[in-house]
Amino acid sequence: MKIILSRLVAVREVPVFLALLLVLIVTGIANPQFVSASGAQDIFLGVAVIATLCVGQTFVITMRHIDLSVGSTAGFTAYMIGKVSGDHHGLGISLLVALAIGLLVGAVNGFLVAYLRLPSLVVTLASLWIVRGIFNQVAGGNTITDNQVPSALGYLGRHSFAYIPYIFIIAFALVLFASFIMHSSRPARDLYAMGSNPPASELAGIPVIKRTFFAFLASGAVSGLGGAILLARFHSADSNSGLGLELNVIAACVVGGVAVAGGVGTPYGALIGALLLQSITQALGALGVSQFWQLAVNGVLLISAISLDRYLTLRIKPTRILRVKS
Amino acid sequence: MKRAIFGWDKGILVFLVLTTIVGSFVTPYFANASNFSFVIQDIGEFMLMAIPMTFLIIAGEIDLSIGSTICLSSAALGYSYRQGIPFWLCLVIALVVGLLCGLINGILVTYFGLQSLAVTIGTLALYRGLCFVLLGNQPVNQMPLSYTDLGSNSIPHTFLPYVTILIFIFGAMGWIALHYSRLGRWTFAVGINVEAAKFSGIPVMRLKLALFAMTGLMAGVAGIVYTFRFASASPDGATGYELSVIASVLFGGVSIAGGVGTMWGVLAAVLELGVIRSVLQLINVSANTLLVVSGGLLLLSVAVPRAIEISRSRRKLVSIEKKG
Amino acid sequence: MVTEAVPVLTISGATKNFGGVRALNGASLSLFKGEIHALLGENGAGKSTLLKTLAGVHRLDSGEIILDGKVFHEGSTKLAREQGIAVIYQEPNLFPDLTLAENVFAGRQLQLNHGKFVDWAGMQSAAQELFNQLGVPLNPRSKARGLSIADQQIVEIAKALSLNAKVIVMDEPTAALSSKEVERLFTVARGLAARDAAVVFVSHRLDEVFELTTRITVMRDGATVGTGITLDLTEKDVIHMMVGREISDLYPKIVTTPGRVVLSVKELAHDGLFENISFDVHAGEIVALAGLVGSGRSEIARAIFGIDKYTHGTITMNENRLAIGSPSESMAAGIALVPEDRRQQGLFMAASIAKNVSVTVLKRLQRGFWLQSKSEERTATSWGETLELKYADITDPVERLSGGNQQKIVLAKWLATKPSLLIIDEPTRGIDVGTKAQVHRLLSDEASKGLAILMISSELPEVLGMADRILVMREGVMVQELSRSEATSEKVIAAATGAVTV
Repeated sequence: MKIILSRLVAVREVPVFLALLLVLIVTGIANPQFVSASGAQDIFLGVAVIATLCVGQTFVITMRHIDLSVGSTAGFTAYMIGKVSGDHHGLGISLLVALAIGLLVGAVNGFLVAYLRLPSLVVTLASLWIVRGIFNQVAGGNTITDNQVPSALGYLGRHSFAYIPYIFIIAFALVLFASFIMHSSRPARDLYAMGSNPPASELAGIPVIKRTFFAFLASGAVSGLGGAILLARFHSADSNSGLGLELNVIAACVVGGVAVAGGVGTPYGALIGALLLQSITQALGALGVSQFWQLAVNGVLLISAISLDRYLTLRIKPTRILRVKS
Repeated sequence: MKRAIFGWDKGILVFLVLTTIVGSFVTPYFANASNFSFVIQDIGEFMLMAIPMTFLIIAGEIDLSIGSTICLSSAALGYSYRQGIPFWLCLVIALVVGLLCGLINGILVTYFGLQSLAVTIGTLALYRGLCFVLLGNQPVNQMPLSYTDLGSNSIPHTFLPYVTILIFIFGAMGWIALHYSRLGRWTFAVGINVEAAKFSGIPVMRLKLALFAMTGLMAGVAGIVYTFRFASASPDGATGYELSVIASVLFGGVSIAGGVGTMWGVLAAVLELGVIRSVLQLINVSANTLLVVSGGLLLLSVAVPRAIEISRSRRKLVSIEKKG
Repeated sequence: MVTEAVPVLTISGATKNFGGVRALNGASLSLFKGEIHALLGENGAGKSTLLKTLAGVHRLDSGEIILDGKVFHEGSTKLAREQGIAVIYQEPNLFPDLTLAENVFAGRQLQLNHGKFVDWAGMQSAAQELFNQLGVPLNPRSKARGLSIADQQIVEIAKALSLNAKVIVMDEPTAALSSKEVERLFTVARGLAARDAAVVFVSHRLDEVFELTTRITVMRDGATVGTGITLDLTEKDVIHMMVGREISDLYPKIVTTPGRVVLSVKELAHDGLFENISFDVHAGEIVALAGLVGSGRSEIARAIFGIDKYTHGTITMNENRLAIGSPSESMAAGIALVPEDRRQQGLFMAASIAKNVSVTVLKRLQRGFWLQSKSEERTATSWGETLELKYADITDPVERLSGGNQQKIVLAKWLATKPSLLIIDEPTRGIDVGTKAQVHRLLSDEASKGLAILMISSELPEVLGMADRILVMREGVMVQELSRSEATSEKVIAAATGAVTV
């Protein structure tokens, strides 16, 4: 049984994908409105920000690290774009601001983790607070309102192409691009090696410090972009923006096959994980189940994903001493 | 490495005394009974939770679900009361719920063999989710005053809030358990080298299960304290508490890698952060600066020992090269 | 086939000290292209130090290494690899989550002509090509996780090939392999030699050595005692070279009359590890479990102590049946285990001497629930005196002490529990001569006071000098029992290697 299961799951993303299909089908039968075009649109809208942030988090988690600062960075970026550009500047300035903030945070995280070799849990927890603190100070009680959102972003956040929201398309494109990079670029392959067997990667001559630094840099940059998407999605931003987002992102990644132990997983897996979690949230509503169950269900899902992963990877062959009688 | 952390603990105490003195000079509102009372109330739940979290982190584990457990205990308390159950029984229920949450975490980590970091993110969601299931959007606000007054009043003839009693009792118990009992020795041993611990006859799985259960139970206590303080039980209480508790523990000199730390360092660190927050608030520095300061202190608490370690190994290398 | 008269690798006068221990004492080795060269020697003879130096882990204190006519740069694994040395360990260190092709090319993935992109097709076929050359049909696309040790070794060899290794060292490669897999490995090794690599084959299994290799070098006590062509040598010659020295009075054994049976093991078995193990240990007796490294002795010790579970058989202590897999129960029954790996299993390196010694007897040191460091320190100090421990302060971390003193601490920790049975796994591995004698004297003393001792050792003189009875293991099975009077080194090694059928 184990062997069949493991063959089936040789592609890590299969179980998540199947679960997603299951949710869609079951809910769709009970409530056809759920799988309608507008139902799908809601799901895509809900998932856009998280999906973007998952890209950066995947880089970091596959190396056996973690980045808790993504929510604060994204929120801060969202606010700053609004503040800096008002509504008369376009996409360019927005992206510049997003990248600047994101890269700065990522660089600091990366320096502390890669060069000083401080534990990433502690470093990114600290930067989560520091960024949130600076953010709150800068924002005060202000809110970025609709008319301060750059028109290009505002447009993207409100409109869709064939029922698929533009922001989701952007997120999706980013996920595809990142997946391609993680599959085909040499430095990214090193990340997998580093997460799979840290001591062996040093021996294999992989430049661990450099790779770690750049992965955090990338995560920061992506968080910045996530902030732009956040602003586009909600047409507003205040000091609460992005609060708690990091845990949702990590949950989506883990459910999507990016194991916390590192070495495995892809951005598109994380995307499917995010879609699954979002679908369940909305499925509960569509099925008439009180939405209050949503968080609990997410929790159970996460625990199941971790357990399943452990069960399937426990295939290490034990040492043999007795000669096989063959 | 141990020496460096030892220095850190004493440093925290010194830091605490210093900030208290500086605080009294910097603002007249700081050094008075009612403010001290406020500070203690403010850090009450963190103090209570830092105690079991210290054990967990020293043993090499972590629990991110404590905020949700606190909330769930509180929610269970409120829910039971709403159903008409006598209040004292509701308190017992809160403790049992906390204990169960801790046990579930423990079983997932020991018997299922899952990593505590990942799995407690899952239970964080699950337990908080159950809060919403129990209470929906409605906090429970009607509670017997005789109990909830304990949350706001002070012990007669003193400026100390009632929660101080709990802090003293559990703080003392925690301190003794960690440094003067077999349980404490085992905890350190498991954190330093879990394989050697097994080979020394230490029942590692049972120990970790007990530590997680203890954490859950304390979360139940903290949940009661929280409920009394706000005189209500709501589904979004204690959000983000886990990160603050972990940060205090790390700031108190406990290494995230396990095996190192002292209880008084942690207690002093929690108190220290409370004092800093109070002083900053009183001189009208925003809470945001406090966030930044907390983050900075957290970084220092790992960067400084690391720097010492790096310089030590550099010196060792030099002396080896001199010999050979 | 040896094709050249000039060696591709020459090591001469290699000397290396670790603290007080002389691991290499003027060792030498010369390798020619195209040969399969066996490196033999008992445990502690210096083989692994020599190999680790080649692998770039150690630097010699003195001596010279010439590789391919150039001076070999020591001390860096990366450089060693670049200079053409590849080492295949008994337990290879692959990346479990990466594919085999990726493992072969880890860190230096093949790239497409333009840009930094991975040439998957290229890597796939290159890896496949390598596997084909080796004659092993592995799928480059499968992940490394779950691969058998034998297959993992093949991947490592493929990696060595792709790096154009000039010298390929196989360090005890056959320990975990089935006979079929061993045959396959031999074919691969011969293929490597045919391709002009120099293969070094380190193994205790004399039958394999004589089947596969072209030349043999024997080491003893850190020096090279002999080199010759395999065809010209017999197993007896080799054993004699390995063992050569006289058994001196380094081992002051007090002869005792054994008392009643303390430990009784009947038909003990653990699937895949050992089977049909039956023996008794009496009070006051020292029973040695001899055999090659990896023959299953430590696994038996762990089963008796309760760290591992077993699948069949019974263990009885003082006539009480012992539960399976419970170290605390075994300890309560009076069993103590000094483990094989001092640093990883026996000690808490960062913790103090006092804490290390007391960790097993905390219950006794408690007053009610209260435990004081002072009582731990007192216990440790008193044991330190008994064992003549050399240290600065009882609160110093254990990692500061020498190997010999560290072993004394492990002994103290277990003797403090006042056991009825002491299982000790490699009592004097990595310890200087002086402390060695002290440890032996201690064991002998304790036995004379009635302690039953089960000693696992790969060092022949120790086994012959200390044991009242010797049980020889080979590949998970007990093949011979020898009494103190009838035992000789030749007999033990013969039984351990299967050179002579018993």
